[in-house]
Amino acid sequence: MSPTSAPQAIDAVGPGEADQRVPLVRITGLTKTLTGQETARTVLAGVDLTLHRGDSVAVLGRSGSGKSTLLSLIGLFDRPDGGEYLLDGQDVTRVPERRAAALRSAAFGFVFQRFFLLKHLTAVQNVSMALVNGQGWLPRRKRRAKAMAALELMGIAHLAGHRPPRLSGGEQQRVAIARALVREPRVLLADEPTGALDTETGNLVIEALRSATDRGCGLILVTHDHDHAAKMNRVTHLVDGVLT
Amino acid sequence: MTLSGRLRSSLIIGGQGIRARKLRTFLSMLSLFLGVLAVVAVQAGSVIAQRALLSDLEMTMGRDGTLQLYPPGDDGASAIVLDAVADRTDAVAMTRARAIVGEPGLRPVNEGGGPIDGGLGYGPQPMGPGGEAMACDAQGNCAPAGQERVVPTGQAIELQLLAVSGDIRQFRPFRLESGRFLDFDSAPSLAPRIVLNKHAAEAFTQFHVPAEMRIEGATANTTPRVIGVVDDGGWSPAAYVRTDELVNWMPVDFLTDPTQGGSVELLAAPSADDLERVLRARLAANGMNPDELHVQTIQALKEMESQLALMRWIFLGMAVLVLLIGVAGILNVGLATVGERVEEFALRRAVGTPRLLLAGIVLAETLLTGLLTAVAAIGAGVVGLEGASRLLASREPFLADVAFPWQAGVAGVIAGVAAGVLGGLVPAIRAARIPIATVMRA
Ligand SMILES: Nc1ncnc2c1ncn2[C@@H]1O[C@H](COP(=O)(O)OP(=O)(O)OP(=O)(O)O)[C@@H](O)[C@H]1O
Ligand SMILES: [Mg+2]
Repeated sequence: MSPTSAPQAIDAVGPGEADQRVPLVRITGLTKTLTGQETARTVLAGVDLTLHRGDSVAVLGRSGSGKSTLLSLIGLFDRPDGGEYLLDGQDVTRVPERRAAALRSAAFGFVFQRFFLLKHLTAVQNVSMALVNGQGWLPRRKRRAKAMAALELMGIAHLAGHRPPRLSGGEQQRVAIARALVREPRVLLADEPTGALDTETGNLVIEALRSATDRGCGLILVTHDHDHAAKMNRVTHLVDGVLT
Repeated sequence: MTLSGRLRSSLIIGGQGIRARKLRTFLSMLSLFLGVLAVVAVQAGSVIAQRALLSDLEMTMGRDGTLQLYPPGDDGASAIVLDAVADRTDAVAMTRARAIVGEPGLRPVNEGGGPIDGGLGYGPQPMGPGGEAMACDAQGNCAPAGQERVVPTGQAIELQLLAVSGDIRQFRPFRLESGRFLDFDSAPSLAPRIVLNKHAAEAFTQFHVPAEMRIEGATANTTPRVIGVVDDGGWSPAAYVRTDELVNWMPVDFLTDPTQGGSVELLAAPSADDLERVLRARLAANGMNPDELHVQTIQALKEMESQLALMRWIFLGMAVLVLLIGVAGILNVGLATVGERVEEFALRRAVGTPRLLLAGIVLAETLLTGLLTAVAAIGAGVVGLEGASRLLASREPFLADVAFPWQAGVAGVIAGVAAGVLGGLVPAIRAARIPIATVMRA
């Protein structure tokens, strides 16, 4: 696959059909320097990471070590300063914003510590909003069916008509995971998804995320919880800008 | 990634945005609604004012393009003029004469034919020994006017008698106030039928004047029949009469004798350009100097131009000011809303919405708001104008059939769209620049 092929080409290669030997994510020597008001700080100083289909990786590290920065680079929110990033064999290190948006839509699902649900939309609308992003078009009924299926997967289909203020934290986070899964992403990126939840609810959420990898999805989980990290295939530590 | 897919996505996202912020949307619409309504009012006002000015000007001067011809003062010139237009429908001769209507032998209350104001005219007034104004009763006994106004009854009124050879309203569109105007199809009557202007009519309701008409130079006094009242745009009492009925009482040459204040004037349609040649030839054939026929074309609009230009600038300034207020309102609300929506925009970009599309949605939301508001304001303007026109038509006749000025509608829509674009552009640009990572890290 050439680096210049259209995002649709990636879309077309679904999880099972692709060459299993090509990793979903292959990062080598990734660097990122963030510039604040005055000080420039090298947050990532050569990160290497490989993620395969159905694989799950936990990223541990103390606060401020650059875990969220790393996720924002993998999720194509931002571009690295150096190194190389291959997504499904495609070089996306310096992908322009227009194509990055298409790739975010086609390849990634995001879950955040704060759930980022839209207060004025119901649970099912919050899920289907990921399908209304200007990247392709699905008729209303299909959108709803997909969103309901994702809620079903999270075991909260009965809450479809509720708005976020009426949902518990765990329920809200599961709506957010349903939103991340509704486009059937190849890579699931979760940034401290249990940070705002109690242990028991947190375990439920981690279980929900893990179950996605059973369907061939790759998972990168940023967490402070060693128990949750232990449930992943691999555990890595981000220390001094390097992943070990 | 079809355009229609993008468009539909935008409609859904924009619709969700508006529904999520009903109150804010309503408030921003309110400021723009009032702004657009003011633009509509200002535009309508400017059109109405122009129409009022023009309608008054047309009544007193004549329609644009009308030819005015003034024959020389020589004896017999007037007869030639009257003869020349006798069979024409595209030209009217108008002769002016003084007439006094009232009891025989009395001085008119407005000697000189000036406007009737209160009880006394602006003309020469009877003065008391100390120079104070005098009021006279029916017997002609004059006394200084006291605190309470003495309304003299049985007085006479002097007015300008305008004899017309045809329907002058084709050149000067008088507004009929009551009755009917002179009709030129029937045979001339022996008792002259007259149409008063509204100042003369007011004078007659104010003073109980017996209807005998003295016309200077007439062979006999006559009892006129008033058949109608018009607004001719003039300020002093006047009456219109058919020339062929008036000449039953006075010789044409006396009627048009310049030394008696009489004069003749021709009004002709722009198409009657042969009239001038015909008149000059006839004047020359009768031994008069044809160059003494003066011709000019009425250009009412041109006369008004400077007045109107100033008025338009003032109105334009007001409209722009009002528009800015509307834009400021929608801009204010738009910016406040973007602050609130930073997270939503970041999330939407995270799930793959292109930032140009997001900017477009913000723009579309305000544009839609602006347009809807403009349409609503125009609707309100139409209804308001209709109501005002119906209410005020009896007092101001030119308001009677004021259709909604389409310029106001156009201005309203432009204002709405401009406010929407300007007010939406800044929020849209801000929305497009929100970095996703920053928000997600929060
Ligand atoms: N825009 C920025 N400019 C400069 N420095 C920044 C900027 N954004 C973040 N940083 C810094 O980069 C470092 C990494 O931040 P990041 O959010 O990736 O840490 P983290 O590992 O996710 O921390 P936490 O566990 O608390 O979420 C922090 O020291 C932070 O202060
Ligand atoms: Mg973080």
